[in-house]
Amino acid sequence: MEGAAFDTVVTTHHGEIFRYLRRLSWRAAEADDLSQETFLRAYRAWGGLAADANVRAWLFTIATNVFRNHVRSERRRQAAHATVRTTRRELELDGPEEEAMAVEMKTLTEAAIRRLPLKQRLAFTLRKLHELDYEAIGQSLECSPESARAHVFQALRKIRTTLDGHVQPLTESTR
Amino acid sequence: MTSKPRVCVAIEPDLIAAATGEAAEPAAERVEAHVAACAPCRDDFARYRAIDSAVGALRSTAPPAGDADAARQRLIARLADLRTRILSYRVFPSSLGPILIARSEHGVALVEYLPREGVAASRLFRMAGVEAQEDSGDLEGLQRELLEYLDGRRRRLDWPLDFRGASSDFQRAVMEATVAVPYGAVSSYTGIAGDLGKPAAVRAVAQALRHNPLPIVVPCHRIVGSGGDLIGYAGNRLNLKEQLLGLEGVPTQPERASKIARRALYHYEPNPGREYCLPTCGDIARRPIGILFTRREQAEARGLVPCTSCHPELHPLPE
Repeated sequence: MEGAAFDTVVTTHHGEIFRYLRRLSWRAAEADDLSQETFLRAYRAWGGLAADANVRAWLFTIATNVFRNHVRSERRRQAAHATVRTTRRELELDGPEEEAMAVEMKTLTEAAIRRLPLKQRLAFTLRKLHELDYEAIGQSLECSPESARAHVFQALRKIRTTLDGHVQPLTESTR
Repeated sequence: MTSKPRVCVAIEPDLIAAATGEAAEPAAERVEAHVAACAPCRDDFARYRAIDSAVGALRSTAPPAGDADAARQRLIARLADLRTRILSYRVFPSSLGPILIARSEHGVALVEYLPREGVAASRLFRMAGVEAQEDSGDLEGLQRELLEYLDGRRRRLDWPLDFRGASSDFQRAVMEATVAVPYGAVSSYTGIAGDLGKPAAVRAVAQALRHNPLPIVVPCHRIVGSGGDLIGYAGNRLNLKEQLLGLEGVPTQPERASKIARRALYHYEPNPGREYCLPTCGDIARRPIGILFTRREQAEARGLVPCTSCHPELHPLPE
Protein backbone atom coordinates (compact mmCIF):
# COMPACT_ATOMS: atom_id res chain seq x y z
CA MET A 1 0.00 0.00 0.00
CA GLU A 2 1.74 3.09 -1.21
CA GLY A 3 -0.11 5.57 0.93
CA ALA A 4 2.06 8.52 -0.02
CA ALA A 5 1.77 7.84 -3.75
CA PHE A 6 -2.00 7.75 -3.45
CA ASP A 7 -1.97 11.14 -1.73
CA THR A 8 -0.48 12.49 -4.93
CA VAL A 9 -3.28 10.86 -6.91
CA VAL A 10 -5.82 12.68 -4.75
CA THR A 11 -3.99 15.99 -5.05
CA THR A 12 -3.66 15.68 -8.81
CA HIS A 13 -7.02 14.28 -9.83
CA HIS A 14 -9.63 14.97 -7.18
CA GLY A 15 -10.59 18.35 -8.56
CA GLU A 16 -11.26 17.06 -12.03
CA ILE A 17 -13.11 13.91 -10.93
CA PHE A 18 -15.23 16.04 -8.62
CA ARG A 19 -16.07 18.38 -11.51
CA TYR A 20 -16.98 15.39 -13.67
CA LEU A 21 -19.32 13.97 -11.03
CA ARG A 22 -20.68 17.44 -10.26
CA ARG A 23 -21.64 17.77 -13.91
CA LEU A 24 -23.37 14.42 -13.85
CA SER A 25 -25.21 14.78 -10.56
CA TRP A 26 -28.06 16.98 -9.50
CA ARG A 27 -26.72 18.26 -6.22
CA ALA A 28 -23.28 19.18 -4.90
CA ALA A 29 -23.76 16.80 -1.96
CA GLU A 30 -24.32 13.97 -4.41
CA ALA A 31 -21.07 14.76 -6.22
CA ASP A 32 -19.32 14.89 -2.87
CA ASP A 33 -20.53 11.39 -1.92
CA LEU A 34 -19.79 9.97 -5.34
CA SER A 35 -16.30 11.40 -5.54
CA GLN A 36 -15.51 9.99 -2.11
CA GLU A 37 -16.82 6.62 -3.18
CA THR A 38 -14.69 6.84 -6.33
CA PHE A 39 -11.46 7.54 -4.46
CA LEU A 40 -12.11 5.04 -1.68
CA ARG A 41 -12.66 2.37 -4.33
CA ALA A 42 -9.57 3.53 -6.17
CA TYR A 43 -7.55 3.32 -2.97
CA ARG A 44 -8.62 -0.27 -2.40
CA ALA A 45 -7.63 -1.21 -5.94
CA TRP A 46 -4.49 0.94 -6.06
CA GLY A 47 -2.09 -1.86 -5.13
CA GLY A 48 -3.24 -3.94 -8.10
CA LEU A 49 -2.91 -1.20 -10.69
CA ALA A 50 -0.20 -1.74 -13.30
CA ALA A 51 2.75 0.60 -12.87
CA ASP A 52 2.31 2.07 -16.36
CA ALA A 53 -1.48 2.44 -16.17
CA ASN A 54 -3.12 5.71 -17.18
CA VAL A 55 -4.25 6.80 -13.72
CA ARG A 56 -6.48 9.59 -15.00
CA ALA A 57 -8.41 7.32 -17.38
CA TRP A 58 -8.60 4.66 -14.67
CA LEU A 59 -10.15 7.15 -12.22
CA PHE A 60 -12.68 8.26 -14.83
CA THR A 61 -13.64 4.61 -15.35
CA ILE A 62 -14.19 4.13 -11.62
CA ALA A 63 -16.11 7.40 -11.33
CA THR A 64 -18.29 6.40 -14.30
CA ASN A 65 -19.07 3.03 -12.72
CA VAL A 66 -19.82 4.65 -9.38
CA PHE A 67 -22.17 7.08 -11.09
CA ARG A 68 -23.92 4.37 -13.11
CA ASN A 69 -24.46 2.26 -10.00
CA HIS A 70 -25.80 5.33 -8.29
CA VAL A 71 -28.23 5.99 -11.14
CA ARG A 72 -29.38 2.37 -11.01
CA SER A 73 -30.06 2.48 -7.29
CA GLU A 74 -31.70 5.91 -7.62
CA ARG A 75 -34.00 4.47 -10.26
CA ARG A 76 -34.95 1.61 -8.00
CA ARG A 77 -35.57 4.03 -5.17
CA GLN A 78 -37.62 6.32 -7.34
CA ALA A 79 -39.65 3.49 -8.79
CA ALA A 80 -40.68 2.80 -5.23
CA HIS A 81 -41.76 6.41 -4.81
CA ALA A 82 -43.86 6.24 -7.96
CA THR A 83 -44.11 9.00 -10.50
CA VAL A 84 -44.37 12.10 -8.35
CA ARG A 85 -40.67 12.76 -8.31
CA THR A 86 -40.19 12.15 -12.01
CA THR A 87 -42.71 14.81 -12.75
CA ARG A 88 -40.97 17.23 -10.46
CA ARG A 89 -37.68 16.51 -12.13
CA GLU A 90 -39.14 17.36 -15.53
CA LEU A 91 -40.34 20.61 -14.07
CA GLU A 92 -36.87 21.46 -12.84
CA LEU A 93 -35.78 21.64 -16.43
CA ASP A 94 -38.80 23.24 -18.01
CA GLY A 95 -39.92 25.41 -15.13
CA PRO A 96 -40.17 29.19 -15.20
CA GLU A 97 -36.58 29.68 -14.09
CA GLU A 98 -35.28 27.66 -16.98
CA GLU A 99 -37.53 29.58 -19.32
CA ALA A 100 -36.19 32.84 -18.02
CA MET A 101 -32.69 31.79 -18.90
CA ALA A 102 -33.68 30.33 -22.22
CA VAL A 103 -31.67 32.92 -24.05
CA GLU A 104 -28.54 31.59 -22.59
CA MET A 105 -27.10 29.04 -24.93
CA LYS A 106 -24.79 27.64 -22.27
CA THR A 107 -27.58 26.92 -19.84
CA LEU A 108 -29.69 25.36 -22.55
CA THR A 109 -26.86 23.22 -23.74
CA GLU A 110 -26.22 22.09 -20.19
CA ALA A 111 -29.88 21.19 -19.80
CA ALA A 112 -29.84 19.37 -23.12
CA ILE A 113 -26.80 17.36 -21.99
CA ARG A 114 -28.64 16.40 -18.81
CA ARG A 115 -31.52 15.02 -20.80
CA LEU A 116 -29.37 12.74 -22.94
CA PRO A 117 -29.67 8.99 -22.51
CA LEU A 118 -27.14 7.91 -19.89
CA LYS A 119 -24.49 6.36 -22.14
CA GLN A 120 -24.54 9.29 -24.56
CA ARG A 121 -24.38 11.69 -21.67
CA LEU A 122 -21.39 9.94 -20.15
CA ALA A 123 -19.59 9.61 -23.48
CA PHE A 124 -20.29 13.24 -24.32
CA THR A 125 -19.18 14.54 -20.91
CA LEU A 126 -16.00 12.49 -20.95
CA ARG A 127 -15.15 13.60 -24.48
CA LYS A 128 -16.28 17.18 -24.69
CA LEU A 129 -15.97 18.39 -21.12
CA HIS A 130 -12.98 16.34 -19.95
CA GLU A 131 -11.34 15.70 -23.32
CA LEU A 132 -10.56 12.02 -22.81
CA ASP A 133 -9.63 10.01 -25.89
CA TYR A 134 -12.06 7.48 -27.31
CA GLU A 135 -9.88 4.60 -26.14
CA ALA A 136 -10.29 5.68 -22.51
CA ILE A 137 -13.99 6.47 -22.96
CA GLY A 138 -14.55 3.00 -24.43
CA GLN A 139 -12.85 1.55 -21.38
CA SER A 140 -15.04 3.55 -19.03
CA LEU A 141 -18.23 2.57 -20.81
CA GLU A 142 -17.19 -0.99 -21.58
CA CYS A 143 -17.54 -0.52 -25.30
CA SER A 144 -15.25 -0.09 -28.30
CA PRO A 145 -13.68 3.29 -29.08
CA GLU A 146 -15.86 3.34 -32.22
CA SER A 147 -19.09 2.98 -30.26
CA ALA A 148 -17.84 5.60 -27.83
CA ARG A 149 -17.42 7.92 -30.78
CA ALA A 150 -20.88 6.99 -32.09
CA HIS A 151 -22.39 7.83 -28.68
CA VAL A 152 -20.77 11.27 -28.77
CA PHE A 153 -22.11 11.96 -32.26
CA GLN A 154 -25.58 10.76 -31.35
CA ALA A 155 -25.42 13.05 -28.37
CA LEU A 156 -24.48 16.02 -30.55
CA ARG A 157 -27.41 15.32 -32.87
CA LYS A 158 -29.78 15.08 -29.96
CA ILE A 159 -28.52 18.28 -28.34
CA ARG A 160 -28.94 20.04 -31.63
CA THR A 161 -32.52 18.80 -31.98
CA THR A 162 -33.31 19.91 -28.43
CA LEU A 163 -31.84 23.35 -29.03
CA ASP A 164 -33.49 23.83 -32.42
CA GLY A 165 -36.74 24.69 -30.72
CA HIS A 166 -35.07 27.34 -28.55
CA VAL A 167 -32.31 29.25 -30.26
CA GLN A 168 -31.50 30.51 -33.68
CA PRO A 169 -27.80 31.06 -34.07
CA LEU A 170 -26.87 33.96 -36.26
CA THR A 171 -26.35 32.48 -39.69
CA GLU A 172 -27.01 33.63 -43.23
CA SER A 173 -30.37 31.85 -43.31
CA THR A 174 -31.63 33.58 -40.17
CA ARG A 175 -30.35 37.03 -40.96
CA MET B 1 -41.09 17.90 -45.06
CA THR B 2 -38.58 17.51 -47.78
CA SER B 3 -35.89 14.89 -47.33
CA LYS B 4 -32.25 15.93 -47.40
CA PRO B 5 -30.26 15.40 -50.60
CA ARG B 6 -28.25 12.19 -50.44
CA VAL B 7 -24.93 14.03 -50.58
CA CYS B 8 -25.87 16.07 -47.50
CA VAL B 9 -26.87 12.94 -45.58
CA ALA B 10 -23.57 11.31 -46.51
CA ILE B 11 -21.45 14.21 -45.35
CA GLU B 12 -23.33 14.79 -42.07
CA PRO B 13 -20.98 12.78 -39.76
CA ASP B 14 -17.97 14.65 -41.17
CA LEU B 15 -19.84 17.92 -40.87
CA ILE B 16 -20.55 17.33 -37.20
CA ALA B 17 -16.96 16.26 -36.67
CA ALA B 18 -15.58 19.32 -38.45
CA ALA B 19 -17.86 21.73 -36.60
CA THR B 20 -16.87 20.27 -33.24
CA GLY B 21 -13.16 20.00 -33.89
CA GLU B 22 -12.99 16.23 -34.36
CA ALA B 23 -12.42 15.90 -38.10
CA ALA B 24 -9.16 14.95 -39.76
CA GLU B 25 -7.77 17.33 -42.38
CA PRO B 26 -9.20 15.70 -45.60
CA ALA B 27 -12.70 15.41 -44.09
CA ALA B 28 -12.57 19.00 -42.89
CA GLU B 29 -11.67 20.15 -46.40
CA ARG B 30 -14.51 18.13 -47.94
CA VAL B 31 -16.94 19.70 -45.48
CA GLU B 32 -15.62 23.17 -46.19
CA ALA B 33 -16.12 22.70 -49.92
CA HIS B 34 -19.63 21.34 -49.39
CA VAL B 35 -20.91 24.04 -47.05
CA ALA B 36 -19.58 26.73 -49.34
CA ALA B 37 -22.08 25.52 -51.90
CA CYS B 38 -24.96 24.24 -49.75
CA ALA B 39 -26.92 26.74 -47.63
CA PRO B 40 -28.86 24.27 -45.42
CA CYS B 41 -25.64 22.47 -44.52
CA ARG B 42 -23.95 25.82 -43.87
CA ASP B 43 -26.75 26.46 -41.39
CA ASP B 44 -26.27 23.01 -39.82
CA PHE B 45 -22.57 23.67 -39.55
CA ALA B 46 -23.17 26.96 -37.79
CA ARG B 47 -25.56 25.35 -35.30
CA TYR B 48 -23.04 22.67 -34.40
CA ARG B 49 -20.36 25.33 -34.09
CA ALA B 50 -22.61 27.21 -31.69
CA ILE B 51 -23.12 24.07 -29.62
CA ASP B 52 -19.38 23.46 -29.63
CA SER B 53 -18.63 26.92 -28.34
CA ALA B 54 -21.33 26.62 -25.66
CA VAL B 55 -19.73 23.33 -24.62
CA GLY B 56 -16.38 25.10 -24.55
CA ALA B 57 -17.86 27.63 -22.16
CA LEU B 58 -19.22 24.81 -19.99
CA ARG B 59 -15.84 23.14 -19.98
CA SER B 60 -14.21 26.19 -18.49
CA THR B 61 -16.99 26.62 -15.92
CA ALA B 62 -15.89 25.05 -12.67
CA PRO B 63 -18.20 24.41 -9.74
CA PRO B 64 -17.57 26.76 -6.78
CA ALA B 65 -14.03 26.09 -5.56
CA GLY B 66 -15.31 25.79 -2.00
CA ASP B 67 -17.39 22.72 -2.91
CA ALA B 68 -14.42 20.85 -4.32
CA ASP B 69 -12.15 21.82 -1.43
CA ALA B 70 -14.67 20.76 1.19
CA ALA B 71 -15.21 17.47 -0.67
CA ARG B 72 -11.46 16.88 -0.81
CA GLN B 73 -11.04 17.55 2.91
CA ARG B 74 -13.78 15.05 3.71
CA LEU B 75 -12.19 12.53 1.36
CA ILE B 76 -8.78 12.91 2.99
CA ALA B 77 -10.32 12.26 6.41
CA ARG B 78 -12.13 9.16 5.18
CA LEU B 79 -9.01 7.87 3.43
CA ALA B 80 -6.99 8.32 6.61
CA ASP B 81 -9.59 6.28 8.48
CA LEU B 82 -9.71 3.59 5.79
CA ARG B 83 -5.93 3.33 5.73
CA THR B 84 -5.73 2.48 9.37
CA ARG B 85 -8.41 -0.19 8.94
CA ILE B 86 -7.22 -1.99 5.80
CA LEU B 87 -5.26 -5.17 6.33
CA SER B 88 -3.96 -6.77 3.18
CA TYR B 89 -3.40 -10.47 3.52
CA ARG B 90 -1.72 -13.32 1.75
CA VAL B 91 -2.03 -17.08 2.20
CA PHE B 92 0.72 -19.52 1.29
CA PRO B 93 1.77 -23.09 2.04
CA SER B 94 4.69 -23.76 4.37
CA SER B 95 6.36 -26.66 6.16
CA LEU B 96 4.06 -25.83 9.09
CA GLY B 97 0.90 -25.90 6.97
CA PRO B 98 -0.91 -23.00 5.26
CA ILE B 99 -0.07 -19.63 6.78
CA LEU B 100 -1.85 -16.32 6.48
CA ILE B 101 -0.02 -13.04 7.00
CA ALA B 102 -1.74 -9.69 7.13
CA ARG B 103 -0.22 -6.24 7.18
CA SER B 104 -1.55 -2.75 7.81
CA GLU B 105 0.21 0.47 6.96
CA HIS B 106 1.79 0.27 10.45
CA GLY B 107 3.24 -3.19 10.07
CA VAL B 108 2.49 -6.88 10.22
CA ALA B 109 -0.65 -7.35 12.28
CA LEU B 110 -1.42 -11.05 11.95
CA VAL B 111 0.41 -14.31 11.33
CA GLU B 112 -1.90 -17.27 11.50
CA TYR B 113 -1.67 -21.01 11.06
CA LEU B 114 -4.84 -21.43 9.05
CA PRO B 115 -7.41 -23.79 10.46
CA ARG B 116 -8.50 -26.79 8.43
CA GLU B 117 -11.56 -24.90 7.18
CA GLY B 118 -9.25 -22.56 5.27
CA VAL B 119 -9.02 -18.82 4.84
CA ALA B 120 -12.73 -18.14 5.42
CA ALA B 121 -12.28 -19.31 9.01
CA SER B 122 -9.35 -16.95 9.60
CA ARG B 123 -9.55 -14.71 12.65
CA LEU B 124 -8.79 -11.86 10.27
CA PHE B 125 -12.48 -11.72 9.37
CA ARG B 126 -13.51 -11.54 13.00
CA MET B 127 -11.27 -8.60 13.89
CA ALA B 128 -13.39 -5.57 14.74
CA GLY B 129 -13.21 -2.59 12.39
CA VAL B 130 -10.83 -4.30 10.00
CA GLU B 131 -11.28 -4.25 6.26
CA ALA B 132 -9.50 -7.30 4.86
CA GLN B 133 -8.17 -7.11 1.36
CA GLU B 134 -6.36 -9.79 -0.58
CA ASP B 135 -2.78 -8.77 -1.27
CA SER B 136 -1.81 -7.88 -4.81
CA GLY B 137 1.85 -8.73 -4.45
CA ASP B 138 3.35 -6.38 -1.90
CA LEU B 139 3.40 -9.09 0.79
CA GLU B 140 5.47 -11.37 -1.41
CA GLY B 141 8.65 -10.22 0.32
CA LEU B 142 7.26 -11.13 3.74
CA GLN B 143 6.23 -14.55 2.44
CA ARG B 144 9.71 -15.14 1.07
CA GLU B 145 11.39 -14.11 4.30
CA LEU B 146 9.12 -16.28 6.39
CA LEU B 147 9.75 -19.31 4.18
CA GLU B 148 13.50 -18.67 4.36
CA TYR B 149 13.15 -18.51 8.11
CA LEU B 150 11.28 -21.81 8.24
CA ASP B 151 13.97 -23.34 6.00
CA GLY B 152 16.66 -22.27 8.45
CA ARG B 153 18.17 -19.86 5.90
CA ARG B 154 17.23 -16.77 7.86
CA ARG B 155 17.41 -16.03 11.56
CA ARG B 156 15.75 -12.67 11.86
CA LEU B 157 12.43 -11.29 10.76
CA ASP B 158 12.97 -7.57 11.08
CA TRP B 159 9.38 -6.67 10.34
CA PRO B 160 7.59 -3.59 11.53
CA LEU B 161 4.83 -4.90 13.77
CA ASP B 162 1.35 -3.57 14.32
CA PHE B 163 0.34 -4.35 17.89
CA ARG B 164 -3.00 -2.54 17.68
CA GLY B 165 -4.75 -5.90 17.61
CA ALA B 166 -3.48 -6.64 21.12
CA SER B 167 -6.39 -7.16 23.48
CA SER B 168 -4.82 -5.03 26.24
CA ASP B 169 -1.75 -3.00 27.15
CA PHE B 170 -0.63 -5.98 29.17
CA GLN B 171 -0.78 -8.32 26.17
CA ARG B 172 1.15 -5.78 24.17
CA ALA B 173 3.83 -5.56 26.86
CA VAL B 174 4.07 -9.37 26.95
CA MET B 175 4.47 -9.46 23.16
CA GLU B 176 7.19 -6.82 23.27
CA ALA B 177 9.07 -8.70 26.00
CA THR B 178 8.76 -11.89 23.93
CA VAL B 179 10.20 -10.23 20.83
CA ALA B 180 13.30 -9.49 22.93
CA VAL B 181 14.04 -13.23 23.39
CA PRO B 182 16.62 -13.90 20.68
CA TYR B 183 16.84 -16.70 18.15
CA GLY B 184 18.11 -19.90 19.76
CA ALA B 185 17.24 -18.77 23.30
CA VAL B 186 14.35 -19.81 25.52
CA SER B 187 12.56 -18.02 28.31
CA SER B 188 9.66 -19.00 30.53
CA TYR B 189 6.31 -17.48 31.41
CA THR B 190 7.85 -16.85 34.82
CA GLY B 191 10.83 -15.17 33.17
CA ILE B 192 8.61 -12.85 31.11
CA ALA B 193 6.47 -12.01 34.13
CA GLY B 194 9.69 -11.12 35.94
CA ASP B 195 10.88 -8.97 33.00
CA LEU B 196 7.61 -7.04 33.20
CA GLY B 197 8.08 -6.50 36.94
CA LYS B 198 4.96 -8.56 37.66
CA PRO B 199 6.38 -11.84 38.95
CA ALA B 200 2.94 -13.05 40.07
CA ALA B 201 1.39 -12.64 36.60
CA VAL B 202 2.68 -15.95 35.24
CA ARG B 203 -0.75 -17.27 34.21
CA ALA B 204 -1.69 -13.95 32.66
CA VAL B 205 1.50 -14.07 30.57
CA ALA B 206 0.61 -17.56 29.40
CA GLN B 207 -2.92 -16.40 28.52
CA ALA B 208 -1.59 -13.39 26.60
CA LEU B 209 0.69 -15.58 24.53
CA ARG B 210 -2.00 -18.18 23.93
CA HIS B 211 -3.78 -15.49 21.92
CA ASN B 212 -0.63 -14.14 20.27
CA PRO B 213 -1.75 -12.75 16.90
CA LEU B 214 1.83 -12.80 15.61
CA PRO B 215 3.31 -16.28 16.17
CA ILE B 216 6.84 -16.91 14.82
CA VAL B 217 7.63 -13.19 14.52
CA VAL B 218 6.64 -12.62 18.15
CA PRO B 219 8.41 -15.82 19.11
CA CYS B 220 6.06 -17.27 21.72
CA HIS B 221 7.49 -20.68 20.80
CA ARG B 222 10.58 -19.60 22.74
CA ILE B 223 8.56 -19.28 25.92
CA VAL B 224 8.20 -22.51 27.88
CA GLY B 225 7.01 -23.67 31.29
CA SER B 226 9.28 -22.82 34.22
CA GLY B 227 10.53 -26.41 34.33
CA GLY B 228 11.22 -26.50 30.59
CA ASP B 229 8.00 -28.10 29.32
CA LEU B 230 6.74 -26.96 25.94
CA ILE B 231 3.20 -26.02 26.78
CA GLY B 232 0.39 -24.29 24.96
CA TYR B 233 0.98 -23.46 21.33
CA ALA B 234 -1.45 -22.53 18.55
CA GLY B 235 -4.28 -24.21 20.34
CA ASN B 236 -2.79 -27.58 20.94
CA ARG B 237 -0.17 -27.87 18.24
CA LEU B 238 2.91 -28.49 20.35
CA ASN B 239 4.57 -30.19 17.40
CA LEU B 240 4.86 -26.74 15.74
CA LYS B 241 6.60 -25.39 18.83
CA GLU B 242 9.00 -28.35 18.73
CA GLN B 243 9.71 -27.81 15.06
CA LEU B 244 10.42 -24.11 15.51
CA LEU B 245 12.73 -24.68 18.47
CA GLY B 246 14.43 -27.55 16.63
CA LEU B 247 15.09 -25.17 13.75
CA GLU B 248 16.84 -22.78 16.13
CA GLY B 249 18.99 -25.57 17.54
CA VAL B 250 17.33 -25.60 20.96
CA PRO B 251 17.82 -29.14 22.27
CA THR B 252 14.93 -31.12 23.69
CA GLN B 253 15.25 -34.15 25.92
CA PRO B 254 16.01 -37.33 23.99
CA GLU B 255 13.33 -39.34 25.75
CA ARG B 256 10.76 -36.51 25.81
CA ALA B 257 10.74 -34.07 22.90
CA SER B 258 8.22 -31.83 24.63
CA LYS B 259 10.72 -30.80 27.30
CA ILE B 260 13.76 -28.57 26.88
CA ALA B 261 17.13 -30.24 27.60
CA ARG B 262 18.24 -27.68 30.19
CA ARG B 263 21.51 -29.51 30.78
CA ALA B 264 22.65 -28.55 27.31
CA LEU B 265 21.99 -24.79 27.72
CA TYR B 266 23.53 -21.77 29.40
CA HIS B 267 21.38 -20.31 32.15
CA TYR B 268 20.65 -16.81 33.25
CA GLU B 269 18.42 -15.57 35.97
CA PRO B 270 18.43 -11.92 36.99
CA ASN B 271 21.39 -11.06 39.26
CA PRO B 272 23.16 -7.79 40.03
CA GLY B 273 26.40 -8.80 38.28
CA ARG B 274 24.46 -9.90 35.15
CA GLU B 275 26.33 -13.20 35.15
CA TYR B 276 25.25 -16.22 33.14
CA CYS B 277 26.08 -19.75 34.20
CA LEU B 278 26.65 -23.31 33.19
CA PRO B 279 23.67 -25.58 33.92
CA THR B 280 25.81 -27.23 36.58
CA CYS B 281 26.27 -24.04 38.61
CA GLY B 282 24.67 -24.67 41.99
CA ASP B 283 20.99 -25.59 41.70
CA ILE B 284 20.33 -23.20 38.79
CA ALA B 285 19.09 -25.98 36.49
CA ARG B 286 16.40 -26.91 38.98
CA ARG B 287 15.09 -23.40 39.54
CA PRO B 288 12.42 -21.74 37.36
CA ILE B 289 13.82 -20.79 33.96
CA GLY B 290 14.84 -17.17 33.51
CA ILE B 291 16.41 -17.33 30.08
CA LEU B 292 18.41 -20.11 28.43
CA PHE B 293 20.91 -19.75 25.60
CA THR B 294 22.21 -22.33 23.15
CA ARG B 295 25.44 -20.38 22.63
CA ARG B 296 27.54 -18.10 24.83
CA GLU B 297 27.58 -15.38 22.16
CA GLN B 298 23.83 -14.99 22.52
CA ALA B 299 24.21 -14.30 26.23
CA GLU B 300 27.09 -11.91 25.70
CA ALA B 301 25.21 -10.08 22.96
CA ARG B 302 22.68 -9.21 25.66
CA GLY B 303 25.39 -7.71 27.84
CA LEU B 304 25.75 -10.71 30.15
CA VAL B 305 29.13 -11.81 31.51
CA PRO B 306 30.45 -15.28 32.42
CA CYS B 307 29.80 -16.38 36.00
CA THR B 308 32.90 -16.04 38.17
CA SER B 309 32.29 -19.32 39.98
CA CYS B 310 31.32 -21.78 37.18
CA HIS B 311 33.32 -20.07 34.37
CA PRO B 312 31.28 -20.93 31.28
CA GLU B 313 33.99 -19.25 29.17
CA LEU B 314 36.53 -21.86 30.34
CA HIS B 315 34.21 -24.85 30.21
CA PRO B 316 31.90 -24.25 27.25
CA LEU B 317 29.06 -26.68 26.61
CA PRO B 318 29.54 -29.01 23.64
CA GLU B 319 27.97 -27.43 20.53
